[in-house]
Amino acid sequence: MAEATVLELRQHDRTARSGGIAAADTAVECRDLVKTFAGGVVRALDGVSVAIRANEFFTLLGPSGCGKTTLLRIIAGFETQDAGSVLVHGQALDGLPPFRRPVNTVFQSYAVFPHMTVEQNIAFGLEMQRRPRQDIGRRVAEMLTLVKLDGMGKRMPAQLSGGQQQRVALARALATAPRVLLLDEPLSALDLKLRTGMQLELKRLQAEIGITFIFVTHDQHEALTMSDRIAVMNGGKILQIGTPEEIYERPSARFVADFIGETNLLEATRIGERRFRLASGETVETAEAGPAGPAGDAVTLAIRPERANLAPPESAGLAGRVEQIVYEGTDTTYYVLLASGFRFRLSEQNRDGAQPRVRPGDAVAVALPAAAIQVLVA
Amino acid sequence: MSAPLRRAGLVAPAMLTIGVLLVLPLCLMAVISTLVRGPSGGVIWSEHTLDAYVQFLFERDLMDRLVVNTDYIRIFARSFGLAAMTTALTLLVGFPTALWMAFQPASRRTLLVFVVTVPFWTNILVRSYAWVLLLRNGGVVDWTLMKLGVTTQPVSILYTPLATAIGLVYSFLPYMILPIYVSLEKLDRRLIEAAFDLGADRWRALRRVILPLAMPGIIGGAILVFVPALGAFITPEILGGGKSLMIGSLIQQQFGQSRNWPFGAALAFVLLAIVLLALMAHALRYRSGVKAPP
Repeated sequence: MAEATVLELRQHDRTARSGGIAAADTAVECRDLVKTFAGGVVRALDGVSVAIRANEFFTLLGPSGCGKTTLLRIIAGFETQDAGSVLVHGQALDGLPPFRRPVNTVFQSYAVFPHMTVEQNIAFGLEMQRRPRQDIGRRVAEMLTLVKLDGMGKRMPAQLSGGQQQRVALARALATAPRVLLLDEPLSALDLKLRTGMQLELKRLQAEIGITFIFVTHDQHEALTMSDRIAVMNGGKILQIGTPEEIYERPSARFVADFIGETNLLEATRIGERRFRLASGETVETAEAGPAGPAGDAVTLAIRPERANLAPPESAGLAGRVEQIVYEGTDTTYYVLLASGFRFRLSEQNRDGAQPRVRPGDAVAVALPAAAIQVLVA
Repeated sequence: MSAPLRRAGLVAPAMLTIGVLLVLPLCLMAVISTLVRGPSGGVIWSEHTLDAYVQFLFERDLMDRLVVNTDYIRIFARSFGLAAMTTALTLLVGFPTALWMAFQPASRRTLLVFVVTVPFWTNILVRSYAWVLLLRNGGVVDWTLMKLGVTTQPVSILYTPLATAIGLVYSFLPYMILPIYVSLEKLDRRLIEAAFDLGADRWRALRRVILPLAMPGIIGGAILVFVPALGAFITPEILGGGKSLMIGSLIQQQFGQSRNWPFGAALAFVLLAIVLLALMAHALRYRSGVKAPP
């Protein structure tokens, strides 16, 4: 990527923005969005409010049917909300058709126009804006360089690979310098290797161009890798908004803890400010108090597999028996059957080669450092 | 059985069908067009001549000299004009209809396709006479216009080129709607959304994305309407009153009243040649110009 192109892109961006007051720090604001389908039977969005900062890589993460794509389509203008409103840089978009909105979309299925060449695809949005011909030509060339498709401008989409078509879709959406780019699971159709490459590339592009990305995915790994902030959604609601670290290390809800990465969820009762009794009778101490509540309150304790330690039997921790050992290359995962009947998942990094200290059937203790335990409302 | 033999066995039914139903009758027609008409109809199988083709362009005057005769060319031109107009009008009505159908919910689409094909169930003659009842003086159209005060005198639509055009558009409309509908129905909706997203309003999304992608359907529909409209003779006869001769009627007359089979066959072949040349020219242009989407 040539330095000059980046500069030009930025400049372009700035001229495109100069019309409005560029002071507002919030790029997209959704207020109490409600959307129902099938005559009110399905609540796709159930009062969603979120403020997305300018130039942020923001991810909507959740299982299929959680409402993340609906939210994106409402911002793009393909769906109309039943209630609530959407503002982009302070301008209310409610009632505006998609072609009047300062946002562009990269679709899951690419949606590259099959009857146009790569260049014609990229030029489409610019032609719709009736830009001068020379401008369009220059901009298309810039975009081809940006997505590393130099020399492919005259090809038809059918002659391109999936990854290349994805780049065309990206270049086409970026060509008009939108203030916000919406990406609807753009990588889900690519194979793993290509996907990893595109993840880094998208991140690089976003940093270079400096515009707001709203990215929809059901892949938690993808979300953690790429995002500045993540909103975890389920059942039409946003459960938690935070940085990848916050979402992973300090999930605020049982669903978030369970959905992001692997987690052991233990039922417990509060017996002190930071002391809890497990169903099996053992007591554990936590570093944080979690949501305030009286003693006797039922809570859920979440422990990540890599944060617990395997200890010799009789030492402090939860007693159990090793049920299964799975070698996974970088890690080894131990499944320990606790006295309560809970199957605890614990993983260790294979730093010194695979040297299993225990065998299936061995009695062990699972040590839980106080800082490793996250207290959640049951 | 060896592989080539088995392959021959498998294609035999198709070849037989095409051979018996298509190639054989065409060959027979080709032979007839080079024969001499019999004194009381039929042909004399032993005498060969190309007089039938000569007759298309020339006639013999009293001195037995060949002079150019444009009568038949004029009939051909009129028929081509009518067929072109029919194609244009069916496209004008059919495309919006197909577009609207393609954007209905899936359950309603099936019903709509069914409704479009309903006219096929009734004989074309019956449907043409139905139009006679509608269009004649004092008919439903006339009566309605008079009652509404649009006209004070009976409008004579029946037995005019307009009546022929209405009848042709009516009977060929499904052949235009269905192929266009098929190409629109399988069109990826995200492509239209992408066009909107990139700033195209409805009109420009239609012109830049929907129309080009529906082109195979439009061309298919145009061929399906144009070619049979060219040879149509029932509608011009009944609704046009047979006042202006069309190719279809002309050919039919040669085999009927005129008992001039060789000339009828020759006319049919001239028509076939023109249509084939037009289709080939189109195919060549389409291949070298815009690349068809896969």
